[in-house]
Amino acid sequence: MRRIAIVGSGPSGCFTAQALLKARPGWTVDVFDTLPVPFGLVRYGVAPDHQGTKAITRQFERVFERQGARFFGNVTLGRDVTLEALRGAYDAVVLATGLAGDRDHGLGEASGIVGAGALTRSLYDHPDASHLPDVRGDVIVLGNGNVAVDLLRLLAKTADELQDSDLGPAASAWLAARPVKSLTILGRSAAAAARFDPVMIRELGKLQGVTIRVTDLPPAGGNKTVEALAALDGIATGPRSVLFRFGCQPAGIGTDAGGRIRALRVEGPSGPEILPCDTLITAIGFRCDGALDRDVLIAGAEDAETGRIAPGLYAAGWFRRGPRGTIPENRADSIALAERIVADVEAMPVTQRAGVDVLPESHKVVDWAAWKRLDAIETGQAPPGRCRTKISTRHDMLKLSRQSENAP
Amino acid sequence: MMNIVILYGTETGNAEMLAEDIQSGLQADHQVEILNLSDFAPGDFDRGRLYLIVSSTYGDGELPASAQPFGQAMKAQTPDLTGVVFGLFGLGDSEYDTFNLGSKVVQDLMEEAGATMLGERIVHDASGSDMAEDLALPWAREVVSLAETRIGVAA
Repeated sequence: MRRIAIVGSGPSGCFTAQALLKARPGWTVDVFDTLPVPFGLVRYGVAPDHQGTKAITRQFERVFERQGARFFGNVTLGRDVTLEALRGAYDAVVLATGLAGDRDHGLGEASGIVGAGALTRSLYDHPDASHLPDVRGDVIVLGNGNVAVDLLRLLAKTADELQDSDLGPAASAWLAARPVKSLTILGRSAAAAARFDPVMIRELGKLQGVTIRVTDLPPAGGNKTVEALAALDGIATGPRSVLFRFGCQPAGIGTDAGGRIRALRVEGPSGPEILPCDTLITAIGFRCDGALDRDVLIAGAEDAETGRIAPGLYAAGWFRRGPRGTIPENRADSIALAERIVADVEAMPVTQRAGVDVLPESHKVVDWAAWKRLDAIETGQAPPGRCRTKISTRHDMLKLSRQSENAP
Repeated sequence: MMNIVILYGTETGNAEMLAEDIQSGLQADHQVEILNLSDFAPGDFDRGRLYLIVSSTYGDGELPASAQPFGQAMKAQTPDLTGVVFGLFGLGDSEYDTFNLGSKVVQDLMEEAGATMLGERIVHDASGSDMAEDLALPWAREVVSLAETRIGVAA
């Protein structure tokens, strides 16, 4: 019997479990998550109005329901079990914890500056999120990746355009009430180097209540992102003002007496500029904020390309590759990683391992059956116009997962 | 009993999962092989078999990653597929306006090569309320029955 532990039940963890069990159906594959609920980025990073993307959870459900993977939610590495103990209990451990922390913007502290990761966690009802921040006035979204586009789109959408999403009641009320005067999406690099997915840029062309201007554009010259951006310029379906700017390096902020940001100084394409800014959302990438020292692990990896850190220890997804690459790219990585793990593990002698018994007996895990009960509560309590209302605290997740167990 | 090959082009794995569902739905009555398009070349087509092709859409209405080598080979080799019969099921997401184009690319490649499509090309919408398999299984049975009539193999 071979035992594999995967730490993190987001897309990379689930795709690794799927590929491992496809190759070796008899193996024990245990997927741990620090949260009581599964799916990581699909649940808390993919935008609530992208339910089609979230539909990959149907694949992941099969990993647990048909392929035999086991889910152990509410298990935090470093607190409930050490990495060393986990490595002793399994033939291989895969770290697929993602990157949840916002990269530092280096502009200093001020109220009105919020990281995209922190904001999306608040908007998407992550149990560790802080309260929804005070976003208002002239809003600048700094960054040229898909997270920046998600936030721009959500802030620009009318309530009608959020139909059928899983945006929760607090976030829905917050978005409906937000006193946003203008939205500027600001790129540090030139438009041709922006990392937006062109298809997500084109999606903005469907917005119902916006007036969009795109400046600092070069001739497209076959660049699909630039073509998609150029097609947005001049769209006028409503009052909310959206401006795209490129080639603007932030140089500093201006604050008022209360310590709130009021201006962003940039080095623009034609010299220094001062942009009015009452809220700055930084969407410039992510870093590891967990208990693991990712930098040390990855720097010391035997083979960082395939994700082998050390014998029996592997890294998957963003934890391995850094905050780049879409779900399909990470799926391809997970498939390659699973092949590597199968080869490595089968080259080792069979050893008796404790597996999940490494957890203290008293530790309360949330297993797959418990998650399915929470899932039924979440879809059952969704109001009209929403497909799900997430349970938003760990306390409620744990309480409800146990209560319903005893229900008739 | 038909000799069926299910070919899938996938990027997130959703088309692969659907292809497996179609295989499960047909294999009691037919001989069904399932292959990733990444492992299939234009020269592999066999006129005695029915091809059920499942393809998602990716990027700007393009073929999904696992179908791209096949698409390039079809363009480069311009094979004569006269007499080859196939059905086509697409996957997409109507949040994006190019959502049904990946399977259209496959249809065009096959028809330009002379192959004959049986039944309608159906595209499942990931943002819609239908389950893909609820559309795909009736579609597959319809295509199989058309193929039985055409190829003249009684079930």
